[in-house]
Amino acid sequence: MIKSKIKQLLIGKQAGTVTLPYPFSPRPSEPGYRGRVVVDTDKCVGCGGCADVCPARCILITDESPFIRIIRRYLDRCIHCGRCEDVCIYDAVHLDGEYELATTDRSDLFIEQVLFMGTCSRCGRCYIPPNPLDRLMVVGFRKDEKWSGQR
Amino acid sequence: MTLQVTAESVVQAVKEKTPILEYYSPSDRRLYLTVAKEAIRTVADMLFNGLNARYLISSGTDRRQTDGYFEVLHFFAFDRSNLRVGVRCLLNPEDLEIDSITSVIPGAGWAEREIQDLLGIRFVGHPDPRPLVLPDGFPEDLYPLRKDYPYDYKPPLDPNKKFPFKEPPADTTVVTVGPFFPVLEEPSQWRLFVDGEVVVGCDYRGFYNHRAIEKLGDSVLTYNQACLLAERICGICGCVHSTSYCQAVEEAAGIEVPVRARVIRSLILELERIHSHLLWLGLACHIIGFDYGFMQSWRIREPIMWLAEYLTGSRKHFSINLVGGVRRDIGPDQFERILSVTGQVEKQFLELVEAIEGDTVLRSRLEDVGILTPEEVRKMGSVGPTARGSGVAIDARKDHPYAAYDLLDFTVVTHDGCDNLARTLVRIGEIFESLKIMRQCVDLLSELPEGELLGEIPDEIPPLKEGMHAVEAPRGEVFHYVLTGYDNRPYRWKVRAPSYQNIQTVPVMLKPGTFLADVPITLGSVDPCFSCTERMEIVDQAKSHSYVLEEQDLIDLSRKRYLKLKEQRGKAHDQV
Repeated sequence: MIKSKIKQLLIGKQAGTVTLPYPFSPRPSEPGYRGRVVVDTDKCVGCGGCADVCPARCILITDESPFIRIIRRYLDRCIHCGRCEDVCIYDAVHLDGEYELATTDRSDLFIEQVLFMGTCSRCGRCYIPPNPLDRLMVVGFRKDEKWSGQR
Repeated sequence: MTLQVTAESVVQAVKEKTPILEYYSPSDRRLYLTVAKEAIRTVADMLFNGLNARYLISSGTDRRQTDGYFEVLHFFAFDRSNLRVGVRCLLNPEDLEIDSITSVIPGAGWAEREIQDLLGIRFVGHPDPRPLVLPDGFPEDLYPLRKDYPYDYKPPLDPNKKFPFKEPPADTTVVTVGPFFPVLEEPSQWRLFVDGEVVVGCDYRGFYNHRAIEKLGDSVLTYNQACLLAERICGICGCVHSTSYCQAVEEAAGIEVPVRARVIRSLILELERIHSHLLWLGLACHIIGFDYGFMQSWRIREPIMWLAEYLTGSRKHFSINLVGGVRRDIGPDQFERILSVTGQVEKQFLELVEAIEGDTVLRSRLEDVGILTPEEVRKMGSVGPTARGSGVAIDARKDHPYAAYDLLDFTVVTHDGCDNLARTLVRIGEIFESLKIMRQCVDLLSELPEGELLGEIPDEIPPLKEGMHAVEAPRGEVFHYVLTGYDNRPYRWKVRAPSYQNIQTVPVMLKPGTFLADVPITLGSVDPCFSCTERMEIVDQAKSHSYVLEEQDLIDLSRKRYLKLKEQRGKAHDQV
C-alpha cells in the first residue's frame, strides 16, 4: 500500500504541472484544423454545391431575381465537418485554424453574400460570368441599378 | 457455444418449428427471414435459447409507402459463426399488434417500448409497457416515426401528465439519483428504493433529450449528410457510429472500400478507443474519490487528443468517414508522430497502472461490487467491456471482422471477475491492445501503395436494399441497420448504441443488498452515455425553505441572462 502511494507520488512529481496557461497564452491549433469558416466572395461563383452537401443545412440559397442570388450562412449551427471546403471546386470556402468562436450574439456567426449573376439565354438560370469585365455588365452590379443592397 | 451455424442451418432449424414465408441471404454472413407474426415468439425462443444466438436490437419501420405494411425486425447475431440474422414480421396497418418477445429475451424490453412509442405498434404481453422515449404529455395518437409525421412538427405537450414511475416497495425510501448528479457525465434519473443503507430496487427514466436523429436520417438527409450526423450521435465515441453507418450503406449498395481506407478507419477507431477508455478510467477514479487517478489518466490522454486533432482536423468529431471510404490520407510524414505518441502513452500508462494496482483502497471500492454473471449478460444482451468483464468474449472486431481487423493481430481482453474491478481491468488491457493495433496500422500503411481513398460509388444507390453492420465501440458494440430508399436517400436508419443494452443491465447489477455508496461506481462501470434534464430544485438555506423551478422557469431565467449579457456586450462595443 505504502509502496503504491510512493510510486504514485513519484509519477506526479515527475510529470509536474501540465496545465497550459490558456487563455493567457495562445494555444494554436494543429495544421489542417477545421475551425472558422471563411468565404472568399471573389472566388465564389454561386453554384450552391456547399448548400447541397451541408449536413447541418446551415447554408441557404435564395434567388431574389434572375440576376441576384443570396447565399446566407448561419454558422451558429455549423458542425465544422468541412464538406463545403471539400466540394468547392473554386477554393472559395476554407476552414481555418481559428477556434475561439463563442459569442453571445448569433449574428456574429452569420454571413450573407449577394452575388450578381448573369442569366443564361437558353435555360434562364443564373450563373456567374467568368470574365470580370462581363461581371461589371450584369444588371444590379452597380448600386444605382435595380438592386440597392450592399455587397 | 462453439456450435457453428450457417444461414442454411438456421433456415432449416426455423422451418422445423414454423413455416418461413420468405427468406434471402445476400451473403453467407447475412440472413433475412420473414415469418408470420403469430410465430415470432416461437422463432425468437428457438434462436435465442435453442441456437444460442445473441439478441441485438429490434427495429420498426413504416413501410406503407413501399408495400403497405408496418414491419418489426428483430436482429440476432451468431458470434462464433460470423452470421447476423434479421427476423421480420409484416403487420397490417389495421391490426398493429404483435406478441412481445421480452418474456423470452429480457434485453428486448426497451427496444419494444421504443417501437411502441414511435410507431404505435402494440406488443402483447410486454411486462413493462410504460412509455420510454417520448416526453411526458406527448399526444397519444401521434407516432413520430411514421412516414406521415413531418420531421419538424412539434406537438403541444400536456403539462399535467406525469411519467408513471414505479411504486416503491413498502417500508422503503426513494432516493433520486439524477437527472443531475455530480458523478454522472450526463444526466439520467435513477429512483433507488432504499431500506436503510441497502438498495432493494430501482426505476429508470431517461431519454429526456431524445434528438430524433433517426427521423432526420429517414426524412431529410442524404447518405453522406447522415454519415456526418451519425458521428454526432455521441460526444465521446462518434467515429464508431459513422464507420458503422458507412459500412451498412456500403453493404446495402455493394460498394467496395479500398484497403488503405480500411486501415485508416481501424487506426482512427483505435485512437478513439484509447481516449475513451482513458477518459472513463479518470471518471471512474473520480467517482470513487480517487482524484489522483483522474488527474493522471487525463494528463496521459491529452497527447492522444492532440494527435487526433493533427490527423483528422478535430479533437473529437473526426468527420473522417464518407460512404465508400475516408476523406483524409495518413502519410509517411505523420507516422513518426503517431509512433512517438503511442510509445509515450504506453510508457506513462504502464507506470501509472503499476503504481495504482497495489492501491488497496482502490481495490476495496471495486472488488465484488456490481456483480454481473455471464448468464445475465446473455439475457440482457450486454456488450463491450461490461460483457467481457464477466468473461463473455464477444468482440465485433474478432467475431465479425470489419475495416482492416482481419489483417491485424490482437487479442480480446476478458476477465472472469464479473465485478467493477474486472470491467476496469478489461478496459486497461484494451488500451494496451489498441496501442499495439495502432502501430500495426502504421506498418500496414507504410507498406500499402498510395492511392484512392474512396471506392467506386454508383450515381444512385438502388432503393430497398438492406445492410446491417456493427463496430466495436469503446463501450461495446454499435449496431446500424440501413434500408435504402428512393431519391438517393435512406428509407430507414436504425441505430443501437452500446449503452442502450448496458443501461438496461444496471438494474440487474444493483442486486438487492447493494450499498447506496456503491451505486455511483456501478452506474459508472458501464460507462453510460445519455442526455439532458427537465427541472431543478433550489434550497435557500438562510431562509430554510425550498422551491422547485419547472422547465419554463429555467427557460425564462436563461433568456433573462442572455438579454442581460447582450446588453452588457453592446455597451462594451460602444466604448470601443
